[in-house]
Amino acid sequence: MKIDIQRITEGEESLVLRYKEATPTINRILDILRDQDNRIWGRIDGETVVVNREDILYLESVDEKVFAYTKDKVLRLDGSLTSFLMETGDDTFFRASKSVVINVNRVISLKSLPSNRIDITMEGDEHLIISRRYASEFRRLLRGEG
Amino acid sequence: MSDKNVPSIWERYLTKEIGIEFKACLYFFAILFFYCVYRIIGGVYVASILHMAEMIFTCYGICYLQVYAFANFDEAEQLKVRECMGMAVCTLIYCLISYVGGWFGKSILPTVLFACYLLLTYFCVFLIYKYKRLIDDKTLNAELKLFQTEHKKERE
Repeated sequence: MKIDIQRITEGEESLVLRYKEATPTINRILDILRDQDNRIWGRIDGETVVVNREDILYLESVDEKVFAYTKDKVLRLDGSLTSFLMETGDDTFFRASKSVVINVNRVISLKSLPSNRIDITMEGDEHLIISRRYASEFRRLLRGEG
Repeated sequence: MSDKNVPSIWERYLTKEIGIEFKACLYFFAILFFYCVYRIIGGVYVASILHMAEMIFTCYGICYLQVYAFANFDEAEQLKVRECMGMAVCTLIYCLISYVGGWFGKSILPTVLFACYLLLTYFCVFLIYKYKRLIDDKTLNAELKLFQTEHKKERE
């Protein structure tokens, strides 16, 4: 496949993709172009997989590796939890502890725990804890003060 | 989420210390009430400043023990063996100090009643915190639903 990349200083930016067959590579490029803000790329057993951002229930960092959990998949992501939060820039993803980021829209219920911690029940009945360090910030987020 | 919104180690330490101070004052007033009732029943209408000083310092010391050694048992989710042990040990220390300090004239009966009163106080405080959390649950879940509804609307 011939690749022609030109950097321009003037005029309108454009991107033309000419293909005969929709190969996986072409589909991936198209996916990025169509919905680049809403897709998350990850790997399952070495295979590249894409999921909608809103399908992610939570992300967890284990031994400096980041995993994203959906209802039925566990994806390994590149980068860190901090870089994920910076890239998404979406307040529906909230840091619940040093190693966990939750998707607030996929939370079923909350339970107040002693020492100002919060127990979260995610879809799929998984329980996570918002540590006291982040609990006040979470309360502010829910009140729209974040 | 910016780091400036996350409490620093100093702020978290301060929060814990304020919690201990609050607890110490709470138990001090509970003990002072029992002490005053005891004095009034005995026909004495004055309280010893020395006894009150002993009480507040004892409360501070025991509240530190409560928070750091017994995992803050009066704020626990459930009263299990560890929590009950904490209550018993703290009550025992209060009773020993009250006996040595002569808060109740070194009499056994008032000291035993004091122990029962302390255990009841601990249980009541445990219930108060538990109901406070139940109310908090309702508020949190209502705010969560509102947050999710607003975000759903934004997406649509």
